[in-house]
Amino acid sequence: MQIQGLIDTAVAEVGQVLLGKEAQIRLALCCLFARGHLLIEDLPGMGKTTLSHALADVLGLSYKRVQFTSDLLPADILGVSIYNRSDATFTFHPGPIFTQLLLADEINRTTPRTQSALLEAMAEGQVTVEGETRTLPDPFFVIATQNPIHQSGTYPLPESQLDRFLMRLDLGYPHPKAEREMFERQGLPGTETRRLEQRIREDQLAQIREAVAGVHASDSLLDYLQRLVAYTREAPEFAVGLSPRGALALLDCARTWAVMHNRGHVVPEDLQMVLPAVVAHRLVPSGDFAGDGMALVMQMQRRVDVIRS
Amino acid sequence: MKEIEQVPRSALIWILLGMAALLAPHAGRLPVWVLAVYGACAFWRLQIFRGRWRYPGRLVKFGLIGLACTGIWFSYGSLLGLEPTVALLLTAYAMKLLELARRQDAYVLLFLGYFICITEFLFTQDLLIVLYSLITVWLVTTALVALHQGQQRFGTTSLRQAGVMLAQAFPLMLVLFFLFPRIGPLWTVPVKSHAARTGVSDFMRPGDISNLSKSDEVAFRVSFEGDIPARSSLYWRGLVMSRLQEGAWSSLGYYEVPPAERRAPEVATAGDAIDYSVLMMPTQQRWLYSLRYAESSQGGVMEAPDFRLFRPVEIEEQYRYEVRSWPATTLQPALSEWRRETELRLPEGDNPRTVALARSLREAAASDEAFVDTVLARFTNEPYVYTLQPPLLGENPTDGFLFDTRRGFCEHYAAAFVTLMRAGGVPARVVAGYQGGEVNPVNRTVIVHQFDAHAWAEVWLEGEGWRRVDPTAAVSPLRVEQGLEQALAGEGSFLADSPLSPLRYRGINWINSMRLQYDALTYRWQSWVVGFNSENQFSILQEYLGELNGRKFVTILLGSWVLVLVPVGFWLLRRRSPAALDAISREYLAFCQRLARLGVERAPGEPPGAFAERAVVALPQSASAVREVTALYERARYAGGDSTPADTLRSMRRAARGVGRQNRLG
Repeated sequence: MQIQGLIDTAVAEVGQVLLGKEAQIRLALCCLFARGHLLIEDLPGMGKTTLSHALADVLGLSYKRVQFTSDLLPADILGVSIYNRSDATFTFHPGPIFTQLLLADEINRTTPRTQSALLEAMAEGQVTVEGETRTLPDPFFVIATQNPIHQSGTYPLPESQLDRFLMRLDLGYPHPKAEREMFERQGLPGTETRRLEQRIREDQLAQIREAVAGVHASDSLLDYLQRLVAYTREAPEFAVGLSPRGALALLDCARTWAVMHNRGHVVPEDLQMVLPAVVAHRLVPSGDFAGDGMALVMQMQRRVDVIRS
Repeated sequence: MKEIEQVPRSALIWILLGMAALLAPHAGRLPVWVLAVYGACAFWRLQIFRGRWRYPGRLVKFGLIGLACTGIWFSYGSLLGLEPTVALLLTAYAMKLLELARRQDAYVLLFLGYFICITEFLFTQDLLIVLYSLITVWLVTTALVALHQGQQRFGTTSLRQAGVMLAQAFPLMLVLFFLFPRIGPLWTVPVKSHAARTGVSDFMRPGDISNLSKSDEVAFRVSFEGDIPARSSLYWRGLVMSRLQEGAWSSLGYYEVPPAERRAPEVATAGDAIDYSVLMMPTQQRWLYSLRYAESSQGGVMEAPDFRLFRPVEIEEQYRYEVRSWPATTLQPALSEWRRETELRLPEGDNPRTVALARSLREAAASDEAFVDTVLARFTNEPYVYTLQPPLLGENPTDGFLFDTRRGFCEHYAAAFVTLMRAGGVPARVVAGYQGGEVNPVNRTVIVHQFDAHAWAEVWLEGEGWRRVDPTAAVSPLRVEQGLEQALAGEGSFLADSPLSPLRYRGINWINSMRLQYDALTYRWQSWVVGFNSENQFSILQEYLGELNGRKFVTILLGSWVLVLVPVGFWLLRRRSPAALDAISREYLAFCQRLARLGVERAPGEPPGAFAERAVVALPQSASAVREVTALYERARYAGGDSTPADTLRSMRRAARGVGRQNRLG
């Protein structure tokens, strides 16, 4: 009970600055708890930065932001050793990556070289600069944002690198009601610079992560998961099916989702809730399918029954 | 939704392919402009698909309908009759492409396609056409499957799936073929073809049979019980022509014979009997072909007073009948007054030179028999020529033929011979039918082609009755002994108009053996499949199942249906669920069904929890029961279950019963 309550308060706190996006906030938290990294793909001005900033506040994490540009180099992120003339040594000046929550803004605007430096750090939880391996802080959480691929001047992330992100979210336009509230709040004193309160302490975060490991996934649920995965590999509307890594990610997220709802076991709803965010960017529709990745996931959800095989 | 409504690309391609396949066998029969309409409509539809053109408006469509009807009218001179109707149907079918906007339209088009596939059988029931129409059905079914699969990419998946489906339907097809009652038509299409069929007709002018000889179609096939008689004795009598009127020989209609003569006279059969069965192609006529003297025990086959067989109804589909013949039988040892008069009558004043010749020859001859020999000897000795290309004859054709041109085909000789006989006072008549036939060594049948058509004569001699005399044999013995091809070898006119007919290449061994193999197959096909009518059906069923009545028949039909469907269904079911459901899930699904009856149906892929929330909203009075069942189910299936299945099952059942009851009370 207390985890769900904790999360509800955190979501409500973030919801103060990002109106009407409760589902996305919950998914983002789920991603963080599951030790994954988050990719947000949306048009400029949809609240990507606001979300990441709010998350850092609510979790009390140190926060840094890197704006990715086409001339950004790996050293600009990881850090660099500089010769210190006074004691004739090299001193390492850590880059912005040494933080708990890193916002990598517009990651697809930079060169693949810089992209891969970041992605490597994300995967390993450590960076190697000039032969010396340095551990990144824990928790280490990257929120990368990217513009939709069809916008010009971008280096799209290849599928193999998309796979490194546990979830991909799109925020979408706000609900008219939420947007109206946003308009009304605009210009009220104190809303601009308000810092959100920390709602989840570090030990609570560790507690949640611990609880995830103990969540029971029954045979029936694993059957359902396998049927879903098999469907992506067999149905003609997919060009590329789900990898084992994708399947594991799905299970991890479902477990976390169960914990977030105070359950000691995973139910199919958990899987279905995280399914679009976890698999949509890992699947490639074949030429036959008219819709996008999201429509594909919805169809897959309809076609694979929970109970019957 | 709109996207789903449209006809997908691959389905469209399969539809067009299927339509092309449907059209192909008709192509030769249709006017060229109908083919052009197909091309144009297909092109138009493709342009619509590519977004270049639009669907035609209502006015344009009406205009097109009018144009099509007018076109058919001009091409055939009528909108009724088999060929114009089929042509109209095919044209409308092509234009239906322009209305192919949504899925429903595609269904109409494809189901119509199956019907169009059948229309081909109104024209021919050849084995190859049947095989071809299997392919057509496959293509049309593929289009149906593609329509359901809704893929854009064109591939062979639909083809394979349709093949599997048709293969699964095959046993059912066999059951239906053998057992389904052959119901007579509720109405009849005017099947009589606009272009007359080739075949012997009931009156004969010079030139009729030589026209027939240009056709290599099969007239009928005969299979003998015992040995096949010598070719020179195979005179297939079809029509007896006793009347000469306005230069044409014709047979007497039933009512033209006085009542006392209408029954076939009693005949004392003599000699050995020959048993055989004839499988006739449709002729749209009533008479049947047989060797003389023939009797048939088959119902529906009747005997005419001039000893030929006929059916009271026209032969509109192929027909098989059993016959027994006694070639040595004496026919009509005594002639009635009316008969004698009829068989002697000649039109007054026609062919005076022939009449004069006949009188002088008869006077010189000692007897009727000697007179016959004299006339035949005249054909042999004088320079008469047997030819497929006789010159045209003038006012008195027999005079012209006998004295001037001296070139003719069998009908010329037969007609001239009978005229001579009658003028000389000997009763005589023309017999039309076929002579000879080709023996197929593969299945020992005799194939009689249209070019075997022949006319000969019968004369009545005192004490002997009717004797067959073939004046053609006197002119060209080869015609009777070896057939038309040999008889015309020098002239090169045999099947001159059909250069591709396999019959022309009989000299090449492998072609000939292939042709005969195929003909044997056709014979089997024609007699066992096409000829499988309600009589055959009943006799076969009766043979295996004893006396037949309605109830038994229906039981057998349904029983065999079950026999076929149950294994197929079993196989499908097994394939569908490799792992059987556990008891808990079955119980839960039953609960879902109970809710479905109350109007809340679980959507495909909907998990129990979400479904329960929905059900609670829809059926608030059963909320607790729904929640309880769902909780029990989820605990058992997903939470690693703390209660044993038996307990859970019982609790679930009890709670589920609550749903219905509370609802009924409420």
